[in-house]
Amino acid sequence: MRPVKSHHFMKGTAVKFFAPALLLCVAANCAAAPTNRLFVTNENSDNVSVIDLATNKVTATVDIGKRPRGIGRAPDGSAIYVAVSNENSIAVLDPQSLKVLRKFHCGEDPETFAVHPNGNIYISNENDAMASIYDPATGKLIQEVKVGNEPEGVAISPDGKRAIVTSESSNLIHILAIPEYKITANVLVGARPRAATFNRDGSIVYATSEIGAEVKKIEASTGKIIGHVPLADDKAKPKDILISRDGTKLYVAGGRANRVFVIDEKSLAVLHEIPVGKRVWGLAMNRDGSRIYSTDGASNQVSVIDTKENKAIAQIPVGDAPWGVAIDD
Amino acid sequence: MPLARAFGVAALALLLSLDCAADTAPALGAKLVVVGKSGTPSVEGAAQGIAEAKQQGEFLGQQFELSIVPTPDAVPADGVAAILTTGQDDVARELAKRHPNVPVLNLAAQDDALRARCAPNLFHVIPSTSMLNDAVAQWRKQHPDAQVAARAWHPKFEKYAASQLNLRFEKRFEHPMDDTAWSGWAGVKLVTDLIAQTRNAAPAMLVEALRTKLAFDGQKGSTMSFRPNGQLSQPILLVAGEKIVGEAPVRGVADVDDLASLGESQCVP
Repeated sequence: MRPVKSHHFMKGTAVKFFAPALLLCVAANCAAAPTNRLFVTNENSDNVSVIDLATNKVTATVDIGKRPRGIGRAPDGSAIYVAVSNENSIAVLDPQSLKVLRKFHCGEDPETFAVHPNGNIYISNENDAMASIYDPATGKLIQEVKVGNEPEGVAISPDGKRAIVTSESSNLIHILAIPEYKITANVLVGARPRAATFNRDGSIVYATSEIGAEVKKIEASTGKIIGHVPLADDKAKPKDILISRDGTKLYVAGGRANRVFVIDEKSLAVLHEIPVGKRVWGLAMNRDGSRIYSTDGASNQVSVIDTKENKAIAQIPVGDAPWGVAIDD
Repeated sequence: MPLARAFGVAALALLLSLDCAADTAPALGAKLVVVGKSGTPSVEGAAQGIAEAKQQGEFLGQQFELSIVPTPDAVPADGVAAILTTGQDDVARELAKRHPNVPVLNLAAQDDALRARCAPNLFHVIPSTSMLNDAVAQWRKQHPDAQVAARAWHPKFEKYAASQLNLRFEKRFEHPMDDTAWSGWAGVKLVTDLIAQTRNAAPAMLVEALRTKLAFDGQKGSTMSFRPNGQLSQPILLVAGEKIVGEAPVRGVADVDDLASLGESQCVP
């Protein structure tokens, strides 16, 4: 990996830097080589910390705009998208050159979004009770779907056929069929559902409720609740949720509990509680599933979790109030 | 047709019809009544709450309705899932006595004595005087010279999605959300949330569920439930001038999740 220097922010250099990668492409949809970087939004310092996965060091900090929160990676690795909440836009960041390529308007106060395998962005518009689908290449709005109050978490099934939107203040999980953009089920869950994820074949959804302090396991085709994990820790305010690459374990960011919960997918028993920094919200997993990175918002750090040892093996200082995390590996 | 077979077909038909009935069950409905005056903050808050309950109900096939009546006498004797009162102690007491099997939610009266009576169907959404006093006392332990006021809510409160609620209220009523507007919103929302969850709007069941099953998101960052004396546990905001300076339980003085550190929960027979 190349070290990031300030000259990469200059236009001419960036183009030159890109040229070899472009030559390797034989089709329009060729994937960019992974940068092996972690991207972290810092909500209060209006920037993105860029971390080298090999050294666990911050190698660059990119100014992105006011109050960055949600972050995601284009399926082909060509872009990192950042929801710039107080600018009502999505910023498109080049993971190689670290230049902000453009920003497009995406409705009021964008917070969380998910990227569909076809590249489209599914975003919740918290103040309008809407979910919107955008084509990030053109910035064009493709579709709007009416959902409950304060929509927040968005997830898309690996096959791209279903999406989840959580409505925080209506306590609902909406299941959408794609490409019809129709709601097929509305599932009432515990208070303030914040985030969701699918299992590998897309048949099951797992959703966290922050105030209800629980995880619900839901059959995607019917919206039927098939399991329930109450988090006994009275400090637990769960947010992000991930499933292990082999599908046997769930990882839940515990918020004020300052730990990541490891839950058995079948028995739904809490197997481990991994202490991390304060107010842990964001989670990202590397490609082979050996590491999880958590944003510890009130500790201004990212924790690196070894999933075999079930412990944090490093803490990386980042900006003020780290929120979201995306990985390009 | 042999009798046994006919019976079998009939049983199957009955099973099918029962199954059908389960799928197309009549929409759950509930009517709430608020005793108060239109245009007051607590009634506006209740109207905000019912609008949000209707919005949720659209997705779940549940219908909610709120009537505003001027006096306790105008509350219907039947068909009401919950009564909210914007009046003082005497009105709250009177309503709880007249409707012993219906939850009565006090939105405005702050006296501790009202709570100490522990009427089984009387619930207090607005914080008690002792909760507010304890919040100030906790703050003064860290800031002995500070002049702060304790509040249930503030229009400038932003954390825990408070800004979203403030924005919704201001959009609808074109003025800021104050303490009793919040209690009006919360009173309706916690009842309708519980009806949605239990799929049961029977008032006597609601009295029981409010006491035992509530895990309410009042958009103040904590899970709220009712104490044995009927008081809603909740964080309190500390305000100096027009600035929010802190939240109670005050970190460093009490555990931030120890809502019991604020106010009383005793019943005085």
